[in-house]
Amino acid sequence: MTRLLTVAVNSLLAAGLYAEMAYGLAVIYGVMRIINLAHAGIMMLGAYVTLTLFSRFGVDPFLAFFLVGPLFLAFGMALYRTVVRRLPRGGGAPTMGSLLLLFGVWLVLQNFAYLVWSGDTQSILTSYTMRSVSLLGVRVGVPSLLVFAASGASLLFLNLLLRTTYLGKAIRAVTQNRDAALLAGIDAEMISAVAFGLGCAFAGVAGGMLSTLYAFTPDFGRSFLLKSFCIIVLGGMESVTGVAAGALVLAVVENTLAVYTSVPISFQDAITFAILFAALVALPEGLSGLFARAPRLRGAR
Amino acid sequence: MSRLGAAAAAAAALAALGAPLLLGRGTLNDLWNLAFAVILASSWNILGGFAGQVSLGYSAFLGIGAYTTVLLSLRGLDPFATLVPGALLAAVFSVVVGLPGFRLRGPYFTIATIGVGEAVRVAASSVSFTGGSSGVRMPAGSFDFGRNYLAMVGLAIAAVAVAALVRRSAFGRALAAIRQDVDGAEALGVDSTRYKLAAHALSAALVALAGGLYAINFQYIAPGAVFDFRLSLSIVLMPIVGGIGTIVGPLLGALVVSTIQLKLLELPALRDSYLFIYGGLLIVVILFEPKGLVGLAGRLLAALRRASAPPRTAGAG
Amino acid sequence: MPAEPLLSVRGLAKRFGGLLAVAGVDFDVARGEVFGVIGPNGAGKTTLFGCLVGALRPTAGEVRFAGEAIVGRPCHAIARRGLVRTHQIVRPFRDMTVEENVAIGAHFGRGAHRGASAARAVRAVLERTGLAARAGALAGTLTIGELKRLEIARALATEPAALCLDEVMGGLNPGEIAGAVALIRAIREGGVTVLMIEHHVHAVAAVSDRIMVLNFGRKIAEGAPAAVLSDPAVVEAYLGSEAPVEAA
Repeated sequence: MTRLLTVAVNSLLAAGLYAEMAYGLAVIYGVMRIINLAHAGIMMLGAYVTLTLFSRFGVDPFLAFFLVGPLFLAFGMALYRTVVRRLPRGGGAPTMGSLLLLFGVWLVLQNFAYLVWSGDTQSILTSYTMRSVSLLGVRVGVPSLLVFAASGASLLFLNLLLRTTYLGKAIRAVTQNRDAALLAGIDAEMISAVAFGLGCAFAGVAGGMLSTLYAFTPDFGRSFLLKSFCIIVLGGMESVTGVAAGALVLAVVENTLAVYTSVPISFQDAITFAILFAALVALPEGLSGLFARAPRLRGAR
Repeated sequence: MSRLGAAAAAAAALAALGAPLLLGRGTLNDLWNLAFAVILASSWNILGGFAGQVSLGYSAFLGIGAYTTVLLSLRGLDPFATLVPGALLAAVFSVVVGLPGFRLRGPYFTIATIGVGEAVRVAASSVSFTGGSSGVRMPAGSFDFGRNYLAMVGLAIAAVAVAALVRRSAFGRALAAIRQDVDGAEALGVDSTRYKLAAHALSAALVALAGGLYAINFQYIAPGAVFDFRLSLSIVLMPIVGGIGTIVGPLLGALVVSTIQLKLLELPALRDSYLFIYGGLLIVVILFEPKGLVGLAGRLLAALRRASAPPRTAGAG
Repeated sequence: MPAEPLLSVRGLAKRFGGLLAVAGVDFDVARGEVFGVIGPNGAGKTTLFGCLVGALRPTAGEVRFAGEAIVGRPCHAIARRGLVRTHQIVRPFRDMTVEENVAIGAHFGRGAHRGASAARAVRAVLERTGLAARAGALAGTLTIGELKRLEIARALATEPAALCLDEVMGGLNPGEIAGAVALIRAIREGGVTVLMIEHHVHAVAAVSDRIMVLNFGRKIAEGAPAAVLSDPAVVEAYLGSEAPVEAA
């Protein structure tokens, strides 16, 4: 019973972080149909910026998020305006050009980090990093709890933004049907810039969260990128709840494997990849697609 | 290909093969590296350039070839005889990955290949019979650089020839159709999955052969080197920079990237900046000349032709 | 006893989420016929064609072609069996020449040509469709009329038993339409069965042996052109009034 609780509690906590990561990818894909391969680099940068704010200015990482968010929002919009916007439009599906371009950006960000912060492994150690509390009989680290709270708060805030503000509604409109949104007078360019900025903001904050939980180098981010893809494929990209659902599924699978089997952590990438593969092949519309077609598993493609 | 082009290609091939008679070991080493790069770039181009399926996981095939060679050599096989099983293994693996993988379209396939590459690297580092993360060494035997050089250059010539033959064949036309409009191709009877799998297997086999030769030459391999993601990256970068989908493009790209790598080793200041350079190259190429150096050359030639053409009289053209 | 129809469709239906685009359609097409399919926009005609050739998987129903059940087979396999369609919105391979475009059909269709015989087949098709002069031109440089003919040429190069033409006359001027009608007649004379979706009702009536009318995914009429076009239900579906439609 304790093992089940361990899985449940840890999955829930992990899901918050994963949802925060994945949402950054989802909003960019939803609005622009671009797969942001630089997502990994931006998360990595978010971790390093949080580190710098902490080690040089003594800002507590969780407070630093309030700085990291807006900073990366601006960074994302600038990145969009300088580089991404120049891409030729690909129509409905993401283009190889956009993929490779953002891949190039990822490489540049990595090198930038190597130069500024060196390739040494870094980690953030606060007064509470090593503390843990007991939740339903399961020992959880304080940072994990705080990360969950932070991600929950930010995603709730995001949901509010999407549902009540003009900006949020415009983003949802463009995600669902770009042409119709354009016809309704929405400035797709501006929305795209904002969406890209929002995606980077969430990626940056997620990176900051990761920095409180793990040690990191400029190269880290690839496995989290894979996890993010896995989540948006599972959960669909059009709603915060979808992303949260996908995040929960991934977290549950990972934790179940960790607790009930002896599969080493290093294989997690392989497992994530296997889930991603299976999901991409079997569920082109994500989990929600599965439920819609429940009577017949092999639906029309 | 024009007569001039064919003559030039034959001359270059002969020159490369005859180089050991004239050039020193240092230069021959560089040529060996160049030949290695040419094989990787030209082979990847068959799937990535002709068929338009961009895979970021080709280091897996290189590693499979390298490891097969070392492990079978350690069991007593002649190193050069191990090349064939390595190529076959890589081809089989490519089909195993491709069968589910090619149901994914474009960028989704690319992302899946990142995962495959990583999974293979992790597996190779964790499993004991591959020597784990510390790698394995070839059995002590006759190391003959002259022979290794001829083998690598010979394979490079073969790889380019194979790519050229594919491109002008019906198979190559199917790949081109798949790249431009896979549904339109299917509507005309092209079994796109089968052709993608074939292109994948062919290029995987060629890359694995290069991997085997790599192992024979360096005598020692480790997962960090042969399964490295950065290797997958440079394999992709070469054809893109040179001119994706052409025959000459991967050659030019191999030349450019090899030269960059050589120069980087010489200048310590740049050694840590190779990601800047690779990333920057990718960005510049995608934004300004997606057809790479070949496309750039084409544009320059067209501009020169326009500039040197006599002015048209009014009312003509 | 009448010969078995080349194409036999029973209960064909296709649903997209909440939309039932094709709602249970039955019809037969005899070998050598020209079978017109008309109906207002959104009637499900293109969806129907998509289901026939395997580009879409039907939600329900059976399709028999040349005596074989083909629902569920992949598109390329159906093309190789001799059932091919053109696309309403032309989709040439833009980076290839006209000749190379047609060669794809010759290589990979039912004809399965290689080498010299493929080149001959391609030349023959280019002659028939009037594109011989443009053989070496890049597909991206063609006019819309030429692109429509290229679409047909590629399909013809596969040597189909049945050819489904989807609005090949869309966007053509009257002279080009007459040319298209002549081409369709020539195709039929070559032994190919033709199904055609068209909005140019007069042209369809002129060249078809029988016409089927779809509205909201259902068949509302089928028969000889004159009879179908004066059917009040058909008139109402198109015009919502009593204006008569005259067959040319």
